[in-house]
Amino acid sequence: MISAIIGIVTLIYLAAAFLFLAAGLRAAPAWDRLARIFLSTGWVLHTAAFLGRWWQSSLLAAQHSPPAGFQEVLRMVILQVPLANFYESLVFFSWCLPTLPLISFRRYTTGFLGGLLSLLASLLLAYASLGVDSHIRPLMPALKSNWLLLHVLTCFVGYGAFALAFGAALLFIWQLRCPLLPAATSLPYMDRLIYQATVIGFVFLTLGIVTGAVWAEAAWGRYWSWDPKETWSLITWLIYATLLHARLVKGWQGRRIAWLAVLGFLAVLFTYLGVSFLLPGLHSYLT
Amino acid sequence: MWRTLTSLRFTLLVLLTLALVAILGTLVPQGEPPAYYLERFGTTFGALLWRLGLANLYSGAWLLVPVSMLALNLLACLVKGLPQALRRAMTPLTWQAAEALPLRGRFIWPPEMKSSEVVAKVWRAELGRSQRLSLPGKEIFFCEKGRFRPLGPYLIHFGLLLVLWGALVGKLWGVEGKLVVHEGELAERFETLRPLTERVLPFQVRLERFQVNYYPQSGIPAEFRADLTFLRHGQEKKRAVCRVNEPVTFDGWTFYQSSYGAEPSGPLGFEICQGNLCHRLEAPVRHRVELPGGGAQFLIIKVEGNLQGLGPAVQMAFRDGPGHPRIFWVSLNHPQLADQPDSPFAQPAGYRFTLTSLPYRWYSVFQVKQDPGVWYVYSGFLLFLPGLFMAFFLRPQKWAVVLEKTPTGDKAGRLLGASPRAREAFEVRRERLLRRLQQGARE
Repeated sequence: MISAIIGIVTLIYLAAAFLFLAAGLRAAPAWDRLARIFLSTGWVLHTAAFLGRWWQSSLLAAQHSPPAGFQEVLRMVILQVPLANFYESLVFFSWCLPTLPLISFRRYTTGFLGGLLSLLASLLLAYASLGVDSHIRPLMPALKSNWLLLHVLTCFVGYGAFALAFGAALLFIWQLRCPLLPAATSLPYMDRLIYQATVIGFVFLTLGIVTGAVWAEAAWGRYWSWDPKETWSLITWLIYATLLHARLVKGWQGRRIAWLAVLGFLAVLFTYLGVSFLLPGLHSYLT
Repeated sequence: MWRTLTSLRFTLLVLLTLALVAILGTLVPQGEPPAYYLERFGTTFGALLWRLGLANLYSGAWLLVPVSMLALNLLACLVKGLPQALRRAMTPLTWQAAEALPLRGRFIWPPEMKSSEVVAKVWRAELGRSQRLSLPGKEIFFCEKGRFRPLGPYLIHFGLLLVLWGALVGKLWGVEGKLVVHEGELAERFETLRPLTERVLPFQVRLERFQVNYYPQSGIPAEFRADLTFLRHGQEKKRAVCRVNEPVTFDGWTFYQSSYGAEPSGPLGFEICQGNLCHRLEAPVRHRVELPGGGAQFLIIKVEGNLQGLGPAVQMAFRDGPGHPRIFWVSLNHPQLADQPDSPFAQPAGYRFTLTSLPYRWYSVFQVKQDPGVWYVYSGFLLFLPGLFMAFFLRPQKWAVVLEKTPTGDKAGRLLGASPRAREAFEVRRERLLRRLQQGARE
């Protein structure tokens, strides 16, 4: 049931991506509106699928050990948040991609940028459905902590914001190179979007690292162990810290900021995917 | 020198150096013995890596130097900028300063307008509270928002310094090691890694019981649980349950469940049948045992206390000729598992191993730690929250409206304001405010 919904959401996002692209190519706002309706519909279904999986895995956990009393139910529900394996993280990451643009950057999410984000969300979901084990498994002891919810949530919201900054940066660079293409959004707008999305991403990444450190202290007795994922999240953080300093202190704008945002997002992708597949460690999704 | 320390170029250099060091640290596997590097990277390059300290990058000068530079940079920036930021945050907007703000729009109202009330109403709706001042011939409304924004970056940077300081305190005065306790036994000695020595706790710990519990029919562990008793001078002081994610603290020392195992506490009893011919024999762990009649040998590799929820089991290697040995498991409580072909319990053809006795006891390995630096680190983290909020989400802005009477008796208003850091939001608000003020008569 839920995987069927995820499949439908994948297609809706894909349709939204094509509509956005068409809107960008023809500079037609009507197509933008249609695309946004698609994106919002997909997002609502996506949210429902996420909550549904949360519900399902809570039910499963309740079968293993029935909770007694409100407090135990609450704790069980918090623990069963569907952010515990690679499949669930992919579903949540792709949920974060349209969320931020739909909530707070509506004005910017048109044309090519909307297309880029919808396409990315669609691809991530397709990969999750086709290439990753989607079974709900009981929670392993290492993940049984209230910090799981906060840590993963903050990290992925941060990733989602960085993805938005990345999309804007790509379009910025592209428009500088080929200014003849119909420009849906002006360069200064894009520049500001890169900065604002980066700020949101940076704040959430910082919170993600902090909650991770507090959790690690509680679980392993070390707030920092130079695990590859930790190290790469620090590298990502340093890159975005560089971007923000360059912008706020030196007033860098435009192309250089855009390139830093691209570099930062590559680090994000490596932190998320590369580390899991290439570098063994505590955070590996494969074990 | 001071210029260099506080320059942005230095900051960027330090940040990028740290990033590069961190990348290097994930490319070169850390903390392995020297032989590993020689084998993996070749004698010349491997030896070079080891010599340069790249094998223990995070505990050596490679990291320490750039981190010290970062601390120096943070400190210099705090010293340089904090006083000014404090001054700015502590100085409220005065009416003189408010009146000197740049002009953002004008409006004219007829003489009969109750101008002060209209301004107050629009102001309350758009900007919230204001200060009001009546001077001869004019009236001034003014307010300031986000005055504490300049402190935000300094809170973050001070928080970072605290985190670094906490890490240093932990490195210098913290103790961290591994403590092994067997079920039913007392322990007080543990091993620290850096430096590699043995230390003694000021109290004793007894492992009353250790359990690995599994989710039913899944082979996935649900819980690693150690029941501990802490004693001082033979007297029981505290009982506690230690689980993964649920450490136990006693007398300033924290215990984390980190690893476990089962150890045979005597020779293992087997019944081994070859066809209808059965023998009973005892075998120690990790010793080669010849089967009666010769030709075949086996060796017990290890004992598990609870293999995937199926209870105790042993892993063994068996060989009855040339070639590689067969490796398989024998379960104490579920001997019928041996009948399943292609399972880890499948036994060599023609033979049947059954466990008759498996004496073992659990042991548990705890990460033992005392780190006086953690609280500095956490305080730093706590400072991040208001710091990030103030630095990135407060939008400093100053607004003022000056009302004056014109010679003709009309009321002339001037809208003044400034917000150098949030021009876009400021502009939106200015347009709305001015429109409402200009329409004031119709409010």
